[in-house]
Amino acid sequence: MSTIELSQVRRLYNGAAAVDGVSLDAPAAGVLALLGPSGSGKSTILRLIAGLEPVDSGDIRLGGEIMSSPSRTLAPELRRVGMVFQDHALFPHMSAGANVAFGLARLGRAAGEAAARAWLDRVGLGGRADAYPHELSGGEAQRVALARTLATQPRIVLLDEPFSGLDQMLRAELREFTLTTLAETGTSAVFVTHDSSEALTVADKLAILKGGRLLQLGAPRETYDHPASPAAAAALGPVNLFAGRVERGAVATPFGAIAAQGVAEGVGATVIVRAEAISLRPGTLAKLRSLRPHGAHDLAIIEAEGAIWQALVPPRSALGERIDVTLQPPGAFAFSA
Amino acid sequence: MALTSELTVAERGGATNTSAPLVLLAALAALVCATPALAAVLFSLAPSGGTLAAGGLLRDGVFGTLALVLVGGGGALLLGATGAWLVSLCSFPGRAAFEWLLVLPLAAPSYVLAYSYASLTWAGGPIPLAVDGFWGAAFVYAVGLYPYVYLAMRAGLAGRHAIAFEAARSLGARPGELFWRVALPLARPALVAGAALAAMEIAADYGAAQHFGLTTLSTAVFRAWYSHGEPVSALRIAAVLLAGALALLIAERAARGRARFHLARWRPMARIILSPSASAAAFGFCAVLVVLGAGLPLAWLGRLALLHANVEDLTGPTINTIVLASVGALATLCCAVVIAIAARRGGAGARLAAFVAGAGYAAPGAVIAFGALMMFGAARNAGWVGGLGSGVALTALLWTYVARFTAAGVQPIQAGLARAPADIDAAAATLGAGSWRRLIRIDMPVAAPSLAAAALILFVEIVKELPATLILRPLNFDTLAVKAHAYASDERLLEAAAPALLIFAAGLAPLLILSRGISRATP
Repeated sequence: MSTIELSQVRRLYNGAAAVDGVSLDAPAAGVLALLGPSGSGKSTILRLIAGLEPVDSGDIRLGGEIMSSPSRTLAPELRRVGMVFQDHALFPHMSAGANVAFGLARLGRAAGEAAARAWLDRVGLGGRADAYPHELSGGEAQRVALARTLATQPRIVLLDEPFSGLDQMLRAELREFTLTTLAETGTSAVFVTHDSSEALTVADKLAILKGGRLLQLGAPRETYDHPASPAAAAALGPVNLFAGRVERGAVATPFGAIAAQGVAEGVGATVIVRAEAISLRPGTLAKLRSLRPHGAHDLAIIEAEGAIWQALVPPRSALGERIDVTLQPPGAFAFSA
Repeated sequence: MALTSELTVAERGGATNTSAPLVLLAALAALVCATPALAAVLFSLAPSGGTLAAGGLLRDGVFGTLALVLVGGGGALLLGATGAWLVSLCSFPGRAAFEWLLVLPLAAPSYVLAYSYASLTWAGGPIPLAVDGFWGAAFVYAVGLYPYVYLAMRAGLAGRHAIAFEAARSLGARPGELFWRVALPLARPALVAGAALAAMEIAADYGAAQHFGLTTLSTAVFRAWYSHGEPVSALRIAAVLLAGALALLIAERAARGRARFHLARWRPMARIILSPSASAAAFGFCAVLVVLGAGLPLAWLGRLALLHANVEDLTGPTINTIVLASVGALATLCCAVVIAIAARRGGAGARLAAFVAGAGYAAPGAVIAFGALMMFGAARNAGWVGGLGSGVALTALLWTYVARFTAAGVQPIQAGLARAPADIDAAAATLGAGSWRRLIRIDMPVAAPSLAAAALILFVEIVKELPATLILRPLNFDTLAVKAHAYASDERLLEAAAPALLIFAAGLAPLLILSRGISRATP
């Protein structure tokens, strides 16, 4: 099993850092998810690991061996790092079978084609070997791209927003299929996404990025429950913000007090409360401004003392115009401002 | 040429997935493209023999070219911009047909139009209006070159800015306001790019200016070399012409760079519906453009050629033209493929190569041809080649074509490559394919479909090229362009009609194929 390690990696575009001093490592088997908005540097990190771009400082190791350093970039074709691209990047002039066989040249023609067919069977496309990329549906193209990459038995697989552009149902199905296949082949993977729920679902380890910097690295549950900063907390779902002051170990908000561990007494603090960590019941404390369907939850807009927050509550909650509010500790945090 | 410029796509930034052998090949191709022009500049620096350049000929040439660029180019700008505005944003009967009909004047080089109009209006011609001298040349440039502006402006108006027009109309803008306050500012970079291309053509033109008896930089180069026997003067004038052409090229590149700043998804847009009288005026305007730029000269040449079909056998020149253009197109294509693929992979070296090849296109044929002549002359003096026999002359001529037209081949190939998924090279690399295998298994096959279009464009460019062929062809090796020019120079315009018509017809082929393709696949 190979692990990928980045240490203090920087990558500059025209003098601006797209990746700025990022250090992280992937679990030996399993999925490292890189989560961030566009411009956070997550796709650049993938291209750096693949060897498609050089690092400007720091280094990248695979299984302990240096792949990239400012003085030397091992060519991508020599790394045995597989990559599944956002637009699949299937070769438009080759059939699905030829696409998968492309990386198997060293096996010889016959063995390569047989292995390609076996892989297409495995991803459920045994009958589509002769189809050309423009004849494949989005989901089929995705499977061919995955088969093409895994067929070369890479030491690690990089997935760059592989399911973007697919509808929700297909997305979930393909995600499950991909995770299962990766697990079966014992391949570790780095998975880039801007979708926080997808990141939490696929990750064995989660890296939250913003503006080219690493905000937090850890197990998904741990990063969700113990965010390192307001920005890291906000990256994993809708949050409410409140600026207050620590008094007697807590910050008083219009909706209730929040324990402020690790923040000094009398100091200004930023409070973050996840929308799904707020529970409501009929009462007197706050005003319910609106309650609307929002998928699995209802979205409630609540108001007290001029502060307006949003809360995700169980659907069809019977609430009057006045409500009481409970802030559940695992989703409410205070940081020194 | 301009037809393909609209297909140009932004280069992908940031990729460093380059390969040394490919960049080396591209550098070699760029060197081949650059050497003749460099030779022209180098030899123009010779210390002695430049008396004419210092005297009136250079000054007259500069003023002549400037005046023609201003008047002829200004006319092309006006006609092309109006045509593009009507066709892109208004709705009137025949609009869809005019969308590609308006491109047709590009089929004829300026000298063919000049010969046709001269015989239409001179002795015995049916039109009692003299198309001659400065105004004759300006007229021919305006009706022959407006498509450069039209194409650039149409690309600047259509689709890409649909949202801005729809927003302006929803805010209550009248058609006039739409033109002055929205369309013109948005399309200004495209307009500048198109006008610069037309100006480059005017500066490079030799045949029309020579036929109308004008002194321009191009004709001055010829006069200094042949009439006065002063190569150094000729090269000095050529160097000034080259500098002007490069300035225009840089203006065009800069403008096109700005024109490309955002590429929204193309979609159809609601056009302004014209009143019946305005529709008639729009139809009339477009029809007059097509008739003056292509229909009338084509029909007249056809009539003359039919009337005088037996005057002379053109089989020899036709075969010469086809062989020369085929070999030249093939050689040029090789350079173009290497540069286009290297530029797609990115990297500073490849970009430089693409720019150098582009500079070759801006350089007028006469400049490159005289440069090649000096280059091969020097090689002979050094004993590297034997005398300047036909073999050497043909090599010099092919070299000139490669230097001049590689850029014209790069553009359609780049456009073809851009239609493939952006990351296929990176994908092939992560699958273990080295640089050569990627070139042979991925890049070449992906570029292949666009090679046919590129080859056709190059073939026609070479068929149309007059000054370079005139300078470097071996003795008694006549092409259609050379024949047409020779007859026209002798005031035998009836005999010039048949070869001119064949050149015109050759030029129509790629236009019909490509412009209809463009209409369907806009932008």
